[in-house]
Amino acid sequence: MRTRIAGLAVIGVAMLVVAGFVEGHAILKETTPAANSKVAGPDVPISLKYNVRIDAKLSKLMLLNPDNSTTELKIEEQKSPDTLNSKAAGLKPGAYRIRWQVLAPDGHITRGEIPFTVTGS
Amino acid sequence: MADLLGTFGFLVVLLRAAILCCQTLAIGGIFFLTVIARRPELRNEGLLASCWKLIRRGALALVVVQVLFVVTNSLVLTASTDIPLSDVVKANFVWAGAMAILAALALFFWPAALRKSVNPVVWLPALGVLAASVMTSHSASRMEDRALLVSLTSLHYLATATWIGGLAYLVFAAKRADPDARITITRNFSRWAQISVAVLFLAGLGMSLVYVKTVPAIWGTAYGVMLGAKVSLFAVLLLLGAANFSIVKGLDADKTGMGARSLRSFGEVEIGIGLTVILAAASMTSQPPSVDLLRDRVSMQEIVARFGPRMPRFTSPNLKEISESTNEIMKKAEAAGKPLPAAFVPGQSGIGVNTPADIAWSEYNHNCAGFVVFLMGLLALLSRSNYFPWAKIWPLAFLLLAVFLFFRADPENWPMGPNGFWESFAVTDVLQHRAAVVLIIVFAIFQYRVETGRVKSMAAALVFPAVCAVGGIVLLTHTHALTNVKEELLAELSHTPLAVFGLLAGWSRWLELRLPEGNKARKYLAWVWPVCFIVVGLILMDYHESDMPV
Repeated sequence: MRTRIAGLAVIGVAMLVVAGFVEGHAILKETTPAANSKVAGPDVPISLKYNVRIDAKLSKLMLLNPDNSTTELKIEEQKSPDTLNSKAAGLKPGAYRIRWQVLAPDGHITRGEIPFTVTGS
Repeated sequence: MADLLGTFGFLVVLLRAAILCCQTLAIGGIFFLTVIARRPELRNEGLLASCWKLIRRGALALVVVQVLFVVTNSLVLTASTDIPLSDVVKANFVWAGAMAILAALALFFWPAALRKSVNPVVWLPALGVLAASVMTSHSASRMEDRALLVSLTSLHYLATATWIGGLAYLVFAAKRADPDARITITRNFSRWAQISVAVLFLAGLGMSLVYVKTVPAIWGTAYGVMLGAKVSLFAVLLLLGAANFSIVKGLDADKTGMGARSLRSFGEVEIGIGLTVILAAASMTSQPPSVDLLRDRVSMQEIVARFGPRMPRFTSPNLKEISESTNEIMKKAEAAGKPLPAAFVPGQSGIGVNTPADIAWSEYNHNCAGFVVFLMGLLALLSRSNYFPWAKIWPLAFLLLAVFLFFRADPENWPMGPNGFWESFAVTDVLQHRAAVVLIIVFAIFQYRVETGRVKSMAAALVFPAVCAVGGIVLLTHTHALTNVKEELLAELSHTPLAVFGLLAGWSRWLELRLPEGNKARKYLAWVWPVCFIVVGLILMDYHESDMPV
């Protein structure tokens, strides 16, 4: 019995250890606007292409404005399963960030941010 | 909210590792009963009952972890977005989870009459479990070659279950089957294990051609490095399988029962290493495949510049020269009312780029610890010969490690730094390091008593190899860069061989202890694990965070 408990303890510890270092795996391959780029406003088309399929209905895009307020970006119907498209309209010049959270079919949730600057039109 | 998500995220990935282990156990059992021990005369009631007990336990555990996985992931989604639960239930992972739960429940409640006759219809729920798992694998998420990858992943999972999962049932058969049936079962298993190994290898190779694609990606990306470690462990499993095969061939002539006992011991080690490979695979599924990471790869020239042989660093920079730890920076920023950094890793040495003094401090720590491990391995090696009985004191070298950790792990705290004795205990990572020091001291004394024969129980002797095995898993699966931050990958390149040799040390010692007295392999294994320790020491002594001067 003691050996069995020790065995289970070893398996438990090993799994805890593995789990502690595992994270989601969807990564961005291409973005429009590109990270740290300068784009002309006021309307900015947004496109995020990932390395895996993304569930658009359960993903989220937010725009962080220069005054630290946030605007939710509506995700358009997916043209390709690995890409999210949206549009930010009426942007004034300044520093913005797109905050994204996506769900891959395997259940992994991944998040990230893309900083960009809007110049005058 | 960030803390809540972090905690849930931790739980979700823990459950994913558990799911892989449970499915391997349940499907492996079904395969064992319906294929390996298919003929009714091969399985007596005791063996049948034991096998079904383990299958049902695996299935029940799968139900529990799948329910927790689906509920937790759904909660994470609803908590982090304003998406209603009614939409979340449409997600792929929910459907896959529901399918796995239903299939595992069917296995758990499988009718007694069908259990007794081992009706092959039981494959329906078993394949349901497999399909649900594949639905949430890397392959299901891919854009290119999806059908091919899904097929290869299915074969890979199935072969893992039939071989590694089946081993647990083979150990049962070695204990409970009738003597004649035992030999036939072992032969059947051996034959099918060879087929499973071939399928595992070919499916793995096929997936590697898609996910890794080029040879330089094996050492140039985190995914490739992990794959290399997995292949090394697979080679060890093959070696053990070959040893099993030669025992199986001589089972007829073996009247002493030593062959069957040896098979059981080999089976234990194969299950242990197999479990490690499954955990490594669970960790790999979280990594972007190499093919997706084309920038910031590490080249062979960079590896040579970093890890080419050179003298260890045995002189430490002054404490005042190194950067403050994150905790110190946070404490001072808070006290001065300054804004805190937006993102940081608790316990990291400093926020920002490491200075030459920081690097020298870390190299000195690794190199000195390596010297102690090298010394320990050397003494353990000497203790195996009859000429140096005093060398059995080798576990006491752990005390040197404990003292070293105590002084060097938290330089800003007592006794080295300005923070007082009691004050230092308020910091979580300092507390963790202090607890580790106590554990190492206890372990040193415990292992010394085992080695010198003061403690004689087998369970006590197995603690050391088990600690090595868990340590190997820790190293094998930790610090994965989601994107290829070169420095992290270079550190991982040195830690992965450490993990593999740590695992080899642990399991060779385990096998040495568990094999029956007359088995000749014990004699060689007694030398293998000390040599592994020496190699670990040498790798640590060559650990560097700076490139070689040109």
